[in-house]
Amino acid sequence: MESELQRVGRSIHAAFPTRSRHPLRALDVKAMEMAAQDQELRAALFRFVDVTPACTSLDDLARHLSAYLDEVDERPPPLAAAMRMSQSRAGRTALGAAAAAGVRHMAHRFIVGETPSAAVRPIRHLWEHGAAVSLDLLGEATVTQPEADRYAERCLDALETLAAAAPSWADRPLLERDSLGPVPRANVSVKVSALSPLLRPEAPEIGRDDAARRMRPLLLRAKELGAHLHIDMESVDTLEATMRLVFDVLSELELRDGPSTGIVLQAYLRESPDQLEQVLAWARSVERTPPLVVRLVKGAYWDHEVVEARQRGWTPPVFERKAESDRNFEQLTRRLLEGWPHVRPAIASHNLRSVAHAVAANRAAGRAHADLELQVLRGLGDDLAAALADLDMRVRIYCPVGDMVAGMAYLVRRLLENTANESFLSDLQRGVSVDELLAAP
Amino acid sequence: MSFRNEPILELRRAPERDALLEALRALDGRLPVAVPVLIGGDRGAAEGLDSTDPGTPERLVATAGEAGAAEAEAAVEAAQRGFAEWGARPAARRAEALRGAAARLRERRLELAALQVRECAKPWPEADADVCEAIDFLEYYAAEALELDRGRELIQVPGERNRMRYAPRGVAAVIAPWNFPLAIPCGMTAAALAAGNAAVLKPAEQSPASAGALVDALHAAGVPPDALALLPGHGEAGAALVRDPRVHVIAFTGSSAVGLEIVRGAADTPDEQGHVKRVVAEMGGKNCVIVDADADLDEAVPAIVHSAFGYAGQKCSAAARVLVHEAIVDTLVERLAGATDVLRVGQAEEFATEVPPVIEAEAQERVLRYGELAAREGRIAARVATVPANGWFCPPTIAVGLADGSPVNREEVFGPLLSVTAVRSADHACDVVESLPFALTGGLFSRNPATVERVAARLPLGNLYVNRGITGAMVGRQPFGGNRRSGIGAKAGGPDYLLQFVEPRVVTENTMRQGIPAE
Repeated sequence: MESELQRVGRSIHAAFPTRSRHPLRALDVKAMEMAAQDQELRAALFRFVDVTPACTSLDDLARHLSAYLDEVDERPPPLAAAMRMSQSRAGRTALGAAAAAGVRHMAHRFIVGETPSAAVRPIRHLWEHGAAVSLDLLGEATVTQPEADRYAERCLDALETLAAAAPSWADRPLLERDSLGPVPRANVSVKVSALSPLLRPEAPEIGRDDAARRMRPLLLRAKELGAHLHIDMESVDTLEATMRLVFDVLSELELRDGPSTGIVLQAYLRESPDQLEQVLAWARSVERTPPLVVRLVKGAYWDHEVVEARQRGWTPPVFERKAESDRNFEQLTRRLLEGWPHVRPAIASHNLRSVAHAVAANRAAGRAHADLELQVLRGLGDDLAAALADLDMRVRIYCPVGDMVAGMAYLVRRLLENTANESFLSDLQRGVSVDELLAAP
Repeated sequence: MSFRNEPILELRRAPERDALLEALRALDGRLPVAVPVLIGGDRGAAEGLDSTDPGTPERLVATAGEAGAAEAEAAVEAAQRGFAEWGARPAARRAEALRGAAARLRERRLELAALQVRECAKPWPEADADVCEAIDFLEYYAAEALELDRGRELIQVPGERNRMRYAPRGVAAVIAPWNFPLAIPCGMTAAALAAGNAAVLKPAEQSPASAGALVDALHAAGVPPDALALLPGHGEAGAALVRDPRVHVIAFTGSSAVGLEIVRGAADTPDEQGHVKRVVAEMGGKNCVIVDADADLDEAVPAIVHSAFGYAGQKCSAAARVLVHEAIVDTLVERLAGATDVLRVGQAEEFATEVPPVIEAEAQERVLRYGELAAREGRIAARVATVPANGWFCPPTIAVGLADGSPVNREEVFGPLLSVTAVRSADHACDVVESLPFALTGGLFSRNPATVERVAARLPLGNLYVNRGITGAMVGRQPFGGNRRSGIGAKAGGPDYLLQFVEPRVVTENTMRQGIPAE
């Protein structure tokens, strides 16, 4: 199995597109490298990105930028120049315009469009290049009932828009069928915390019930449209509400035979092996069709979980060493593959070793390529997606949709991930050898 | 110092919630709790004062003794004896007793949280946090007292030795409120005892049972009966303690009216009183949250709602006003109103409850009166439509368009009423805050570091919170207390607090007598 993993990993690595093909991407990489080198600078730049949509003018934007940079001790030359520009009004206008353009450019890399209809064209383009998508609607935090209603309407619009556009796409058997049957073209991911303002960690049933009354119509419509609706996982604060919502609603009679749907398992959680057992037991007992997709991810709320736990005196619910998470990811992958055909596995990782492991383990289980879905994030996993598509593997790109205001929190999270010291992507950018990338955790 | 905050319960986990509900069922079987007057070794009768559940006023939570002037007199006399013994104990042994009391509270923490749910209608997360804070105070002041016992470094020159030490003052009267029924009495009492004083605790008449549990824990851990008395009852015992010439320190937390009365009363120094009384008073607030145009409203809205309406606004640190930049006032009011509409008003024992009843009928009347005034002088942007009929419930309310001079904008309401005012800039907001007589807590939501620096430099507040809620100060992390008319004294849970309970003594010794060299 290990030798097969190494062989698969090397073939994926060899299929990566070269940087020179994407001059704009190389520019982004340069900016990321700069941010990754200096923690203070990284914080200053990301705080600036975060505040961009709240700034009322170019002048205001420049004032914020210079206030953040003022807190950085050692400024690289381009930023020292920015500080000089911020001294005058004309300079601030120019600086604000340049900074706004920079943030827009970065946002565009991670966010596929402002609305589902704006996303249709790039999504079709991805499909033609061998990648399916899941659309994710970015939004401000839901703190009121009207906000939850609007989010549900946007999800409905995304389902309708994708379902209307999808029939005109070319045939891609690898992307739309596995050994268990058809895989929907239209695929939307939803967040439980956006479907209700009542998610409360200490009273999960209130939020679950309120989110469920908006989730049901979405599921029913997805069933009619033949679309897939995926329920995302967020922080541990909403974990119990989300799990109970999924188990309860999907067990309801009118939802027993569709739509295609799925949940997420976060490998950084110490409790994730137990959760997977619960999911597998549930899937076996309800015998829902089509089978539940389980998307295995590392987890995107690591800093939040650790900081919250430290502030409150709790043991962090997440593994604190990356290698522990990576090892757990591989164990969960194997266990998840054992759950087939009651569940469909989807492995979402940008880590070459984790992806190669999943492909090798799927083969070892004697299954076809199409029975394993691989998922990446737009903007972070584009190269990996291209390589996987080249190798005839089923890949799905998670594509956020939303405007600048809504997208900023997401953008900052992705930027943090991209510049984290331990991230696979920064390893790749630093030119770490394929042996190291594929070393056992 | 090796202090670390007691971890709060992880209430997002079902087993922890189930354990609390089990503790509540067990407690209900034992109600009402008997809380006698405790003076020296004597246990008085536990009758005369009834403590009831604010959410179900028919439920009797505790029957307590009713201490008056005679009991205060006797308690101070016993405390003088107790001081002779307790004050002479080495600081390390006193600290040991305080830590022992912390351990006893920790063993009973689920039950004590349940008691607050019943006695003060405190919702679970806040009841649990209150018990943890009480444990923190005991352990923090125990450690601080050891530090203080080492004295201070002074300049030394050849031929003389200079030492600075801190000695306990004597008898401390502790007059405590009900809103943090274990933590605040515990903090003031623990500070007095840690520094070597004897203490006489007069808890609020609304929460005798929590105070009784505190005193039991301290006695069981080795604080002599004479060194710590418990005087449940109404105002009479407290007033007698303030007047008593044998009392050295008065530690008070509560309303501004009572606090100022104590300051006046304590200032009277009759001839037979051989000392000047020291008053530590934590009083009211009219706490403002400033929201600048560049604020992250996704963070600001939940933080403001929780700060204003958590425990029905019955915290001295609670948010009473929002001062928001005019460019975003409409958006903020709309989102705050929507977030207020979904608040759960209900019984404290339900985990979903965010806004429990207020403490008593008088409080309900006061809050509703201010609510009516707000409706007349301004506009109501949100008010939760229905609240339970039985129990002292008040609907969480947001008012807008009130003049800065309105009583709703200047007086402490101590209930779930929040007033939102538009301002031209963060500096304009600072002007408004500075015009208020209080200076306890406040908040600022801004993403510009320059604004944060400017506002922090201008505001006279005891505790300013930036980009977060303004309640929930943690011992050792956010030393707590107000300035101006909000308080006198050093900050609770901070490194200066014990200095209120000691007197400094300097000894300078000539070490060169007869020309014998010192070293």
